Amino acid sequence: MDVGLLGQYVANGLMLGMIYAMVAVGFTLFFGVLDVIQFSHGDVLTVGAFAGLATYIGLTLAGIASPWLQLAAVLLVAVAAMALLGALIGKYLVLPLRAAPPLNVLLLTLMLGAALRECVRLFYPQGANPKPFPRLLPADTLALGSFSLRLDNALLLAAGLAAIAAVHLVITRTRLGLAIRAVAQDAETARIMGIDFERIVLVTFALGSGLAAAAGVMNGLYYNEINFSIGLLLGVIGFSAAVVGGLGNIYGAILGGFLFAALQTIGAVLLPAIFRGVPSAYKDVFAFAAVIAFMAWRPTGLIAERSAERV
Amino acid sequence: MNALAGVAAIALYSALFLHVESQAAVLALVGAAVIGVPVLGRLGWLARVAASLDEHRLLGRVAIAVALLAVVALFHDQHFAMLMVASVLFYTVACLGLTVQFGYAGVVNFAGAAFFGVGGYTSAVLGPHIPHIAVLMIGGLLAALLGSVLILPILRTRGHYAALITVAFGILFRTFIEVNDALGGPQGLQVKGMNLFGWDLNTPIGEWSFYTNYVLVGLMLAALAFVLVRRLERSWVGLNLDAVRLDETACAVFGIDVARWKILAFTFGNFFAGVAGAAYAMMTGFVAPSSFTFADSLIMVSIILLGGIGSLWGVALAAAIVLVLPEKLQALQEYRFLLYAVLVIAILLVRPQGLVPRRPRDYFA
Amino acid sequence: MRISAVRCAVAFAAVITAAGSAQAQKQTVKLAFIGPLTGGVSANGIGGRNSADLAVRLRNDEAKAKYKYELVSLDDECKPNIAVQAATKAASDNSIIAGVTHYCSVTAIATVDTYHKFGFPVVVWGAVLPDITYRNKYAEVHRVNGTMINQNDVAAKFMTGLGFKRWVVIHDTTDYGKAHDKYFTDYLNKYGGQIVGRFGVTADQQDFTAELTKAKELKPDVIYFGGLTPIGVRIRSQMDRLGLQAVFEGTSGIKSDAYIEGLGAKLAEGSLSFIEGAPAEKLPGGNFFTSQYAAQRYDQGPEAYGPFAFAAASLLMDVIEKVGPNRKRVIDELAKVKDRDSIIGKITFDDHGQNVVPLISKYVVQDGKWVLWEDSDYGQGKRKLK
Repeated sequence: MDVGLLGQYVANGLMLGMIYAMVAVGFTLFFGVLDVIQFSHGDVLTVGAFAGLATYIGLTLAGIASPWLQLAAVLLVAVAAMALLGALIGKYLVLPLRAAPPLNVLLLTLMLGAALRECVRLFYPQGANPKPFPRLLPADTLALGSFSLRLDNALLLAAGLAAIAAVHLVITRTRLGLAIRAVAQDAETARIMGIDFERIVLVTFALGSGLAAAAGVMNGLYYNEINFSIGLLLGVIGFSAAVVGGLGNIYGAILGGFLFAALQTIGAVLLPAIFRGVPSAYKDVFAFAAVIAFMAWRPTGLIAERSAERV
Repeated sequence: MNALAGVAAIALYSALFLHVESQAAVLALVGAAVIGVPVLGRLGWLARVAASLDEHRLLGRVAIAVALLAVVALFHDQHFAMLMVASVLFYTVACLGLTVQFGYAGVVNFAGAAFFGVGGYTSAVLGPHIPHIAVLMIGGLLAALLGSVLILPILRTRGHYAALITVAFGILFRTFIEVNDALGGPQGLQVKGMNLFGWDLNTPIGEWSFYTNYVLVGLMLAALAFVLVRRLERSWVGLNLDAVRLDETACAVFGIDVARWKILAFTFGNFFAGVAGAAYAMMTGFVAPSSFTFADSLIMVSIILLGGIGSLWGVALAAAIVLVLPEKLQALQEYRFLLYAVLVIAILLVRPQGLVPRRPRDYFA
Repeated sequence: MRISAVRCAVAFAAVITAAGSAQAQKQTVKLAFIGPLTGGVSANGIGGRNSADLAVRLRNDEAKAKYKYELVSLDDECKPNIAVQAATKAASDNSIIAGVTHYCSVTAIATVDTYHKFGFPVVVWGAVLPDITYRNKYAEVHRVNGTMINQNDVAAKFMTGLGFKRWVVIHDTTDYGKAHDKYFTDYLNKYGGQIVGRFGVTADQQDFTAELTKAKELKPDVIYFGGLTPIGVRIRSQMDRLGLQAVFEGTSGIKSDAYIEGLGAKLAEGSLSFIEGAPAEKLPGGNFFTSQYAAQRYDQGPEAYGPFAFAAASLLMDVIEKVGPNRKRVIDELAKVKDRDSIIGKITFDDHGQNVVPLISKYVVQDGKWVLWEDSDYGQGKRKLK
């Protein structure tokens, strides 16, 4: 296989990994702060993508045609709307169930995700059909041998990295981030120290959901298509990635996201090469089997969660 | 007596519900239940019925069996009603298995539909060659066997991590079936109708619906499963399982082999799911990967939660609600998943112990 | 309380009137329509449903019809298990006499046994998989549209005739896609084309970069796609993203407006599709159908197979008018259909219930619309496929 082709595969894998990582970071943030797995995260991504699409349609109708302006508006509206949605979910659905058994919260968020998915399908005009997402990024291509580097792919990768870096900076360098980490480490002590628990939790939910919206818009820009069910598999993969990386740890989530994408790409490329007649569709089987095997080896993920338990 | 009155009331309501066609009538019945049940609870009537059923356990069970047979007799020639009753019965068996896993031992299983599917595909593949009683058993055994692959990861993980393992497995199973041509691929496989000792269930008796035959088989399976699980719960095995669920560390301290009980519960539960899946596939005549997705596993988990974790009658009731209600509300056909999701969310927020909460263990009965 | 004589008389009169009007009312006969009303190909499903609905309305407007018809529409979501549920629901309802069924081949082939089990007569309006009518000899199953055999014959001959030599085949792994692969490969080998690569993809796959990267390596002239619109859109768009330059040749599965909407006119330009029958304007009853359809102001066009759904519904209603609302008699009568006039031409069912539709039309996307090849700039030599 020549280097150009290899480069193509690497580029594909990186793009997928970026999206998975963004979703995984969201999961890990929610878990860190509230010990809750918010399964509707993937569907928040979907709603964010649709919100972006709706904004684009609105802007086009209003006559604004500059792609950069449209892109900025789409991103802004999607992120802001989903931040709000995330905060609402946190306040009215997740926080009240803090004391309930964790499975109840899991199921609640799963059902919420299903409800969000159905709402998009039913209430967005012709929501059941796949929708074309506008091409807002420049489409120039740079040919390096047999590897064609598209400018929009590069931009998306850069944007994803920037988003994750921004979240990381917020968590590690700001007072807000300090408060979030404090609450994640020990909620009771954080409250004693004067941190407003509820406010921090809602801000975290908003942050994670905003990141998901960005991932949704990026997903739309990459595939030039969105449909109401993209959130389901992305949510499960994001969750797997977060767990494999180690719940509660942002670096782990990023690592897990890229690892999962690597597993999928390796599965798609290597399996047909090694076993004749095995279609590349087995890549998901391979990736999930690898995740299960991995969990048997390292039950708490790559960067293990440090937890204390009162017996 | 109150017990008989309670059973009769439920039977009457079910018969009415299965009978009505017009949407207005269905909505009226649903509304009546939503308003009536809490009112009856307030008035203490529900408590009296429950107490009476407790006192006269055998009578209660016989009454329920008789009521069920009466409903079947009433609708014996209506295909769709019988199909729904049979589906409820088979799903109850599968969810009873999941109850043992989750309600008793605390092993969460988000791949219930996958094990259901293993049973279904066993029927499809082995049905034409092997007597069907054996097929049902083999379906269950294969499901249990496949589940044992997951045991090591499940034992080594807890909580969310264990949940992830089963989620990943469910998706893996479905994807595998879909890409594997030997098992029919995305197109699925046709399944031969059940044939027990020469009785071909797909031929109707007179002008009865042939689904009635499956209802009878379902009743037998459900009764068997019910008795088995109830015996299990009451025994020392059930005591150990409950202990494992409530506090693993304490168990280990007391010398209870946590791993052994988890393995037992998981395997036992998957066996039930496999048997139910095999029978259900023979009834519908068709299996495809898209019947056994993550969403279907979620439905099973919701049935258990809705009914009340660990409660056996709750499982039956919840299965009836979850499976029959969306079919009846035709006008809201498109919105049914949305309404169903909202309903579960509401129940989780308002009454998380479920519809028929499990009663504390009765040590000195 | 004594009941007043007046009240008695009024009640009596009301009863008589009601009875009398009941006599004058026609018996209602129900027909089922099953198609993908939601999901990626819902445009075709809803188009088919509207067409069947149009047929029912026109029939109900006719005073001399013996019965009043009601269309019960069910969604099969283009998924085999949902289709079997919908088929069971329709067939187990004894008041539904017959069905106009299925656009997706995966659903039609899955439900064949269900219809046979219940003795429920159906006429397929959109699925092209040959096995649907030819795998078993079920008296219940009929089809008014053609099968994919002819489609692929014409496609292979035409494309090799244009001078293309190297093909990569991408097909979905359902029976529909696999059958397209099989027939196209057979015919392409017959006409001298060369298949340099073959990829199977799942029907809901999102990401094709792995397959397309490998395909790009093989340097094909044409990418043949055996599958439906949603993945057709994704593959074409990802081909462009990876810089894979080849002609995109689809089947009847992508002949829909949703394909062009999904890609935008620029990317869809030059895509090819082959479909049995002729464009609506060229069908014998085409203009009648198009004008009546427009008059009803449906919010969705009939799409490619609408006329077939209309013809299927009309045929069933004709048969019921003749033999009455009885499933067995309908099945017997359908077996005798020969040279029956309809808006799609003459319908004759062979011994497997298949209507023979010899005409295949070739379509190309030009300036954001599906245009008949002969009428297009490409066909007339003014533009070239690249």
